Amino acid sequence: MNGQQEQQERWLSRCLQIGFVLVLLLLWYLGTTYWGISGILLPNPVMVLHDLKEVLGSGEFLPDLEVTLFEVAVAFALSCVSGLALGYLISRSPYLIAVFEPLLSSVYSIPIILFLPLFVLFFGLGPWSKIALGATISFFPIVLNTIAGFRYVDRIFITAARSMGASNAQMFRYVLLPAALPVVLTGLRIGFTIALLAVLGSETIASFAGLGHRIAQLADAMETVRMFAYITFAVAIAAGLNALVSSLERQAKRR
Amino acid sequence: MRLTVIAGLLAFWEAAARWWVDPQFLSPPSRVFLSLPSLFDTQGVPAALGIAFCEFAVGFAISAAIGLAVGLAIGLSRLSRRSFMPIILLLYATPQITVLPLFILYFGIGPASKIAFGVSHGIFPIIVTVVAGVQNIRPILIVAARSMGAKRWQIFRWVIFPHMIPSFFAGLRLGMAGVLLGVLLAELYVSTAGIGYFTQMFTESFDPTKLLGLISVLALMAIAFNVALRRAEIHFARWRQN
Amino acid sequence: MTIGDVAIRIKDVSHQFGEPGDAQFVRVLQHASLDILRGELVCLIGPSGCGKSTLLNVIGGLIRPSSGTVEVGANLIHGPLPREIAFVFQENALFPWCTIIDNVRLGMVFQGVSKDQHEDRARTSLEAVGLSEFMRYYPEQLSGGMRQRAALARALSLETNILLMDEPFGALDEQTRMILGEDLSVLLARTAKTIVFVTHSLGEAVFLADRVAIFSARPGTIKATIKIDEPHPRKPGFVTTEKFAQLRNQLYGLLHDEIRKGVEFTAVMGPDS
Repeated sequence: MNGQQEQQERWLSRCLQIGFVLVLLLLWYLGTTYWGISGILLPNPVMVLHDLKEVLGSGEFLPDLEVTLFEVAVAFALSCVSGLALGYLISRSPYLIAVFEPLLSSVYSIPIILFLPLFVLFFGLGPWSKIALGATISFFPIVLNTIAGFRYVDRIFITAARSMGASNAQMFRYVLLPAALPVVLTGLRIGFTIALLAVLGSETIASFAGLGHRIAQLADAMETVRMFAYITFAVAIAAGLNALVSSLERQAKRR
Repeated sequence: MRLTVIAGLLAFWEAAARWWVDPQFLSPPSRVFLSLPSLFDTQGVPAALGIAFCEFAVGFAISAAIGLAVGLAIGLSRLSRRSFMPIILLLYATPQITVLPLFILYFGIGPASKIAFGVSHGIFPIIVTVVAGVQNIRPILIVAARSMGAKRWQIFRWVIFPHMIPSFFAGLRLGMAGVLLGVLLAELYVSTAGIGYFTQMFTESFDPTKLLGLISVLALMAIAFNVALRRAEIHFARWRQN
Repeated sequence: MTIGDVAIRIKDVSHQFGEPGDAQFVRVLQHASLDILRGELVCLIGPSGCGKSTLLNVIGGLIRPSSGTVEVGANLIHGPLPREIAFVFQENALFPWCTIIDNVRLGMVFQGVSKDQHEDRARTSLEAVGLSEFMRYYPEQLSGGMRQRAALARALSLETNILLMDEPFGALDEQTRMILGEDLSVLLARTAKTIVFVTHSLGEAVFLADRVAIFSARPGTIKATIKIDEPHPRKPGFVTTEKFAQLRNQLYGLLHDEIRKGVEFTAVMGPDS
């Protein structure tokens, strides 16, 4: 396809995209303003926008945001440290890899959110049950990626370094670590995203604070306008954090 | 060897629950296992499990159908791919958990909301993999078919569709995990009936035995689905050495 | 550049992978013996699978042979000897996360060279292979030929007496091989290193070597050696001389049957037997 056709297509697809989204927004607006869709089910987008501005202006969101961010930060820190350490140790021995990698993969394949009630039993409804769950779930992509990263270092690099007399410490620092880094960083990014999702999810289900809890609370009270505002806010925060982490990952991968 | 590790973990669990941890918080696997019959005797538990199973099955079927349909609709034309895939990917990336209360508000606390939430998690990986499967066919295959006089629908039926099937199955596996997650999240959230009711009850009454029992049954169900789907995938994707 | 006493003594080296009865059991080397003199460039040539790369790894201490010994100077080889022996591998063994000059410096870090010497040695060796301009590039930004030059620079910067090269130009096209071969000859004429060079190419062997050691088919042993009596640095014109053609034909004659045997063996027993 030549340059001109390519440009045309790109322009056209952009239009379709934006058009599609605009149509949806328009329907939303018309539906709630003129066509009588109950405001309790689907609030008016203009009202939601107003409410969002109010929430942001008053700083009402702060305590909940703090709780959520705290839980995510601690959960991620825990899973990072344990995932990286265990991942590296396991990767050192083919025997350990053969034993643990399939085990860890299979556990990862069941929805670990199932264990939330157990964590609530242990830790109560406070932040620690969310932290425990978040740490547990995000542990898996980190440990699995760390194992893979160190395990698949091309043999030729190890052989070459050995032939030049590299010590074990030098081998780790100059060969294994940089070679494994891209895969490990990806694991960390995935781990963060999952920790965030796990925390939000467990807050929604069983908590007395945090953004997830707030949304659930507002739903219970049928305050749909404010709920929509908070949903928008939460999605924006999540998108922002994920974008931040992705860009950190990209930067770290660039030499 | 793996079995020894599993056995070792179970033994550790057993020891920890017996001697180290307050029995209010943890039960040894032996007791959990033995108390399973009484768990099933508890009024409403088998029904809750059964309903969850059905919600999952229905949700999965709907996801597969919608995912395939939407995936094909978007995937077959380059223009629609370029236009709509970014939207799909954006939706795929949003934390859907934030709208769980909304789903419950809309669909009520019955099975409908659980199925809907499951579907909303399951369709995205399926759409993405179907689009990829349609998109990455080597152009030479289509050229060859056309050179032999194949019409458009024939190319779809005999070239594009079979080529996409292995990707579809890979997507089904991811979709299944999504539906499972969605259904479970919704079930856990609704604490007035179903699984969520019992998890809350067992938690509040500090009954780790029954709680672990329930969780184990659900976990086993998840594993069983996973294995079944993996078998199906291998069976249908035999010709691809991807 | 004079050739002196024995630098590397390979005594009766045999090597097998696996145990008899294993599915993957294979005997690659059988009683290989050779004396390599100081300052000599010896090419190891032979059919595929004859064990020449294995022997190179044994000399360098990367593999412990099933039986037999290798002596380098006064040392019996049982592990890498980075101060005496440097490698250039066929595969791209440059670290992709380091620039070219960092790759060269890293080699010296491993060997234990004191830091103040790193910069000078690195620059000198990169200049010697003609890569001064590309010091700060990453391996993936360079062509195959340039990458192998960089690998050579890394090996040279280690200032070892012995250089082991395992089909270093194997992955390159014919024209690049020619150029690199000529440059290598010029470079080596200046230093006094002992070099063992594994290759598949008859022309390359005759052009570069002082002696060519011919391997038999697997299990490999050193069947014969041919002396190439031509002063270094070898001129590009050497390739067109009568002498070159004769030596090449001689080599071909010795090698051909072994190659045939290797191929037939593979055809009957399967590729990984």
